[in-house]
Amino acid sequence: MNRLTSKLQNLKENNKKALVAYLVAGDPDLDTTLDLMHLFVDSGVDVIEIGVPFTDPIAEGPTIQKAHDRALKNNISLKMILELVDKFRETNTETPIVLMGYLNTFISHIDLVQSIGENSADSILVVDVPGELNLQTYGITNPNINTISLISPTTKDDRVESIAKNSTGFIYYVTLRGVTGSSNLNIEEIKTNIQKIQQYSDAPTMAGFGIKSVEDASTLAACSDGIVIGSSIVEMIADESKTKEFGRIGEYLREMKTAIS
Amino acid sequence: MGAEDVRRQSLNVYRIKLLGAHVHPVDSGSATLKDALNEALRDWVTNVDDTYYIIGSVTGPHPYPMIVRDFNSVVGKEVIEQSKDLFGKMPDAVVACVGGGSNAMGIFHPFIDIQETRLIGVEAGGEGVSTGEHAAPLNDGTPGVLHGARSYLMQDESGQVKDTKSVSAGLDYPGVGPEHSWLKDIGRAEYVAVSDDDALKAFHEVTELEGIMPALETAHAFAYLEPLMKELDSSANVVVNVSGRGDKDINTVAEIDGIEF
Repeated sequence: MNRLTSKLQNLKENNKKALVAYLVAGDPDLDTTLDLMHLFVDSGVDVIEIGVPFTDPIAEGPTIQKAHDRALKNNISLKMILELVDKFRETNTETPIVLMGYLNTFISHIDLVQSIGENSADSILVVDVPGELNLQTYGITNPNINTISLISPTTKDDRVESIAKNSTGFIYYVTLRGVTGSSNLNIEEIKTNIQKIQQYSDAPTMAGFGIKSVEDASTLAACSDGIVIGSSIVEMIADESKTKEFGRIGEYLREMKTAIS
Repeated sequence: MGAEDVRRQSLNVYRIKLLGAHVHPVDSGSATLKDALNEALRDWVTNVDDTYYIIGSVTGPHPYPMIVRDFNSVVGKEVIEQSKDLFGKMPDAVVACVGGGSNAMGIFHPFIDIQETRLIGVEAGGEGVSTGEHAAPLNDGTPGVLHGARSYLMQDESGQVKDTKSVSAGLDYPGVGPEHSWLKDIGRAEYVAVSDDDALKAFHEVTELEGIMPALETAHAFAYLEPLMKELDSSANVVVNVSGRGDKDINTVAEIDGIEF
């Protein structure tokens, strides 16, 4: 079974919520990204989401945009990111890895994505395709890679069903109207919408975008199968990119983990 | 608007402000049209409940290319009617500049089934297509996805979108409307490129000889008349689409000519 699917099933069976943590590959450099991935796991992260840098990341707020720019200055490519995952897998074969990026990167590397084996990345989240489409639409049929579709607060009911059915990994519920790192969470709306999604699909639903505080984390974990943290971490990585003292990130993730437990 | 375009299109910006609108300069990326589009999309998803997104060119996701094409195609229909009166037949060629390609698509579309009329789109050759410093994806691009459309795109082998270079703000875009890519692939339209220098020369010539000051975008179409007329019979009827007026570009041209106001 796919590593991501089995991990999320396992958490659900034990009545636990998933902590998904995001970082951009190659920000500030690939060696540091590898260290941070291990730090994530040691701090209680269940799933690692690796941002694949793109020149035009339209769903990202300023914090993650800048991280993409920094990674691109290092000429980070998808091939290098898969090599990074291989290195990570040398010592960790447990933690599921999701690649999150933009369609043009993946369709520019169809052969590479097709060749992803069992012991590599487990899922791909393409931000800029309609939820009913996935990489199969573009000729990528790798059975080792499952798909994650996004549903937003403005997705119409009839589309929620078809998008939910299209997700084989998890459903990513975008918790707000906006880009990553915004701050206008409407908890009541989020609860209602996630309940609606769960009526249509058995796939786990993760809540992401704009989750910063332990309060947000605990409230949203209560009505979903887990939460995704991105911009807050990326900001801390940027702050400490010179000193590379990332203790604060570990502390923050442990607090988040406690908040959703 | 990209901060670079706010500078070089300052007259247009002033006009927009006189009409009561706010203009937000965008500093991210190359600070030109592509980055303004990224930022408009980000603003839209944030304020989607009370904001309508509309794009001024024939690109973006369906149905935007169709909407813009259909509204602009009144120009092509008018040319067909006037050609009957003026020439007693259809023109031998229609020439239009292509950035995103809205004015070109507007004049080309009603002519698609009129095979006797050559359709010629002129892209921004910048420093010259062979230098890579240009904005001519139909001449020197490969298929890719940007801003919700799959079309010819200026990108590197990793699928990252390349920076563009053109003296003309309106042509300075790495993508192009998908219907132009289709017309290129089926061979119905020809797409050529004209350098900054040749466009500037045409700007001066048309202004001096015709008393019509064309936009720098339009000047690209005029510049192509020189090679085109050499291959056509002297009795040929050629229509050039004058997509815009050049007073907006007067600062750019004056700066190049070394003139200070």
